[in-house]
Amino acid sequence: MSSQVDATADEATEEMNVVTAVKETLRQEMHRDEHVRLLGYDIGPIGGVFRATEGLLEEFGEERVVDTPLSENGILGTAVGMAMRGDRVVPEIQFTGFFYPAFGQFMYTLVKMYERSGGNLEVPMTVRMPYSGGIKSSEYHSESTETYLVHTPGCRVVVPSTPYETKGLLAASIRNDDPVFFLEPKKIYRGSTEPVPDEEYTLPLDEARYVRRGEDITVYCWGAMVRHAETAADNVDADVEIVDLRTLSPLDVETILESVKKTGRAVVLHEARRTLGLGAEISALINEYALDHLHAPIKRATGYDVHFPGHQIEDDYLPDAQRAQYAIEAVMEYEF
Amino acid sequence: MAQWTERRPSEEFYRVLDPDGKPVNDVPDVDESTLRRMYRTMVESRLFDEKTLAMQRRGEVSIIARTTGEEAVSCGSAAALEAGDWCFPSYRQTPAALYWGADKARAVAALMGTEPETIDEHLPLEGEPEVNFTPVYVPLAVNVTNAVGTAMTDRFRGTDGVSLSYIGDGSTSQGDFHEALNFAGVFEAPAVTVCQNNQWAISVPSHRQTAAETIAQKAEAHGVPHERVDGNDVLAVYEASREAVDRARRGEGPSFIEAVTYRMVEHNTADEESVYRNETEEEYWEDKDPIDRFEAYLLSEGVLAVDDLEEIREEIREEIQEAVDRAREVPVSDPEEMFEHHLHESTWKRDHQRAELQAERRGENPFTDFTGEGLQ
Repeated sequence: MSSQVDATADEATEEMNVVTAVKETLRQEMHRDEHVRLLGYDIGPIGGVFRATEGLLEEFGEERVVDTPLSENGILGTAVGMAMRGDRVVPEIQFTGFFYPAFGQFMYTLVKMYERSGGNLEVPMTVRMPYSGGIKSSEYHSESTETYLVHTPGCRVVVPSTPYETKGLLAASIRNDDPVFFLEPKKIYRGSTEPVPDEEYTLPLDEARYVRRGEDITVYCWGAMVRHAETAADNVDADVEIVDLRTLSPLDVETILESVKKTGRAVVLHEARRTLGLGAEISALINEYALDHLHAPIKRATGYDVHFPGHQIEDDYLPDAQRAQYAIEAVMEYEF
Repeated sequence: MAQWTERRPSEEFYRVLDPDGKPVNDVPDVDESTLRRMYRTMVESRLFDEKTLAMQRRGEVSIIARTTGEEAVSCGSAAALEAGDWCFPSYRQTPAALYWGADKARAVAALMGTEPETIDEHLPLEGEPEVNFTPVYVPLAVNVTNAVGTAMTDRFRGTDGVSLSYIGDGSTSQGDFHEALNFAGVFEAPAVTVCQNNQWAISVPSHRQTAAETIAQKAEAHGVPHERVDGNDVLAVYEASREAVDRARRGEGPSFIEAVTYRMVEHNTADEESVYRNETEEEYWEDKDPIDRFEAYLLSEGVLAVDDLEEIREEIREEIQEAVDRAREVPVSDPEEMFEHHLHESTWKRDHQRAELQAERRGENPFTDFTGEGLQ
C-alpha cells in the first residue's frame, strides 16, 4: 500500500477498487469543471465495457457523455477539435489494442497542434485506455503498447498501480494542459481495494513513486506489475527497492538514477515486448549516467518479442512474481 | 511516354456564371464591396503565387504548392463565414486566409521555414483575426475530423459557430474523410466540408480515386446534404457555401460541397506535370480561368472599370513586396526553438538535450555527462 494512504488516514475515505476510482474521479472532475466531456463508444447506457463510466450519462446528459460511432480515429480526431475549443475531453479507447486506427490523428494532430501553432492552440485531453493483459480477454484486447506513445513527443503517458494512485493521477491528467494517455491496467481493475479519500487530490505527472526502499537492488515497474514486484521482493533474500514509474512519459530520470546509484543493481519488469520496450530506455539511461555504480548487468523481465498469445497460454507470456524473482536472483548472484 | 487518359468532369453542377462571365442562373444578392473584396482576394492569391514561385526559383523558399486556377473555391466559401467561425485550411487555400486579412508577411515567413515562435515574436498579430484559422494542415483529411470536433462542441454548447474545412479529391479516399462526415451526420454538427476537386492528386487523376460518379455523392451515405458546384465560378461557390453555412448556423447540421476546379499548374515545385497529363487538357481548362470569368462579369456589371484592373494589381504587388521585405527581416530561428511547445512544463530530457545542442553549437563535445548531473 502506498505511503500516501497512511498520510491521509485521518480523512474520510471509501474502500474502492481501481475501476471505481476511475468512475468516481470522472464524476468528481465533471462536477468540478463543466468543460470536461467524455467521448467513446459504449460509454453511455452500458457505462463502458468495464463499467468505468456507469451512471455518468444519467448524471450529466448526452452532451457530456457522448456515445460515438465505432471509430477510434473519429473519436480522437473530433476530440482534438473539441479540445481546441477549450473542452477538457476524456476520450475512451475501449482497449489499447484498438488504438491503431487512431494513429493518424494521434501523430498528425493530437501531439503536433500545440507545437505547430507556436503554442497558440492547446489540446488538453486525457485518452483513457484499458491496458495490458492478464484477464484472458484474447490477443487484441491484451496488449501493452506504451512504446508507441512514449516514443512520440508532445504527450504524457501515465499508468496507475492502485486505486489511490488512480484517483490522484487521473484528476491530475484531466486538469493538465497536455495530451495525456491514461493507461488503466485491466488486471487490477477489480480484485483489490484500498481506502481512497473522498476529498479531491492530485498526484504529480512527472514523479516516480518509491513503493518500498531497499539497499541491494532496484526493480522498476508500473501498473499491474507492481504487485508482482512486491511479491518477488518478499520472496528473495535481498533488500529490494521498488520504483513505480507511474509516468512513463516524461520519465522521472532523477529517481531512476538516484535509486540505482544507491543499489548498484537493477531489474526492469514490464508486460510489453522486450525489444524497444521501456526497459531498453531505462537500461540505456543507467548505462549512460550510472555505469560506474553498477555491480551487475541490468536484466529486463518482460513479455517476449511475439504477438500477444491466445489466452490459454497468456500466463506463460506475461511476467509475474516468479519471473521477477528469477531476474532479481540472477542479478544478485552475478559477479563481475 | 505513359500519360493518363484525359477525362473531363461532368458539367452537371450548379453554376451562376458561364466561362465568359455571363449569368446563366439567378445571381446571388452580394453587395458591391463584397464582390470587389472577392475579386481582389483572388488576384492577390494569384500574385502571391507568382511572387513566392520566383522566391522558390531563387532558393529563398524550399517548396510551394500554388493555388493558381483554384482561387474561386476557397475565396467564395470563406466569404460565407462570419466572425467567430472556424476555418481549417489544407495547403491550397491561400484565398480563404487572404479574404479574412491574413498577414502575408507571416505566410511568406512560414514558407521560408521559420519556426512559429519566431514568427509570433517578430511579426505579431495586430488584433485577433475575425475568423479563427488553424495552422495549414499538411496531412490529408485529418483537418476535417478536427473541424467536425469543433463543430460538435458548438452543437453541444448550443452556440452558433460554424466550422469550415477543405480537402482535395484525393483526400476523399482517406479514412478520416469518411469518419469525419459520419460523425458530422450522426451529431448534426455545424460543419461545412468543401472538396476542392482539382482533378489531380499529384499525378493520380480524380477518376482513379473513386468509381463514384461524383465526389459529392460520397456524402450521401453519411446522411450529409451535398451539392456539386462549378468551382471556377466564385458566385456559385459563394451561394452554395452561404446556404450551407446558414443551415449549419440554424442548427440544421452539416453539408458537403464538391467544387469542380482544375489545378492549372504543377502539384508543387518539385513536381513535373507534363509527365503524366497532356496539353490539350490544360488548354481546355485555360479557358475556364476563375479570375477571368469573374472579372468579365464585374466589368459587364460596372462593378469594376477597365482602368481599375491594373491599378488593383499594382497595389497588391506593392503590398506583397512589402510583406516579403518584412518576412526577410525576420531573423533565422534560434535552433533551440525546436524544443519549445511540446509539453507545458520542462522535462529532464528536454533540458539535457537542449544543453547538448548548446554545447555542440559552441563547438564543445556534448557527450561528457556520465552522471546525469550535467555536462562536464
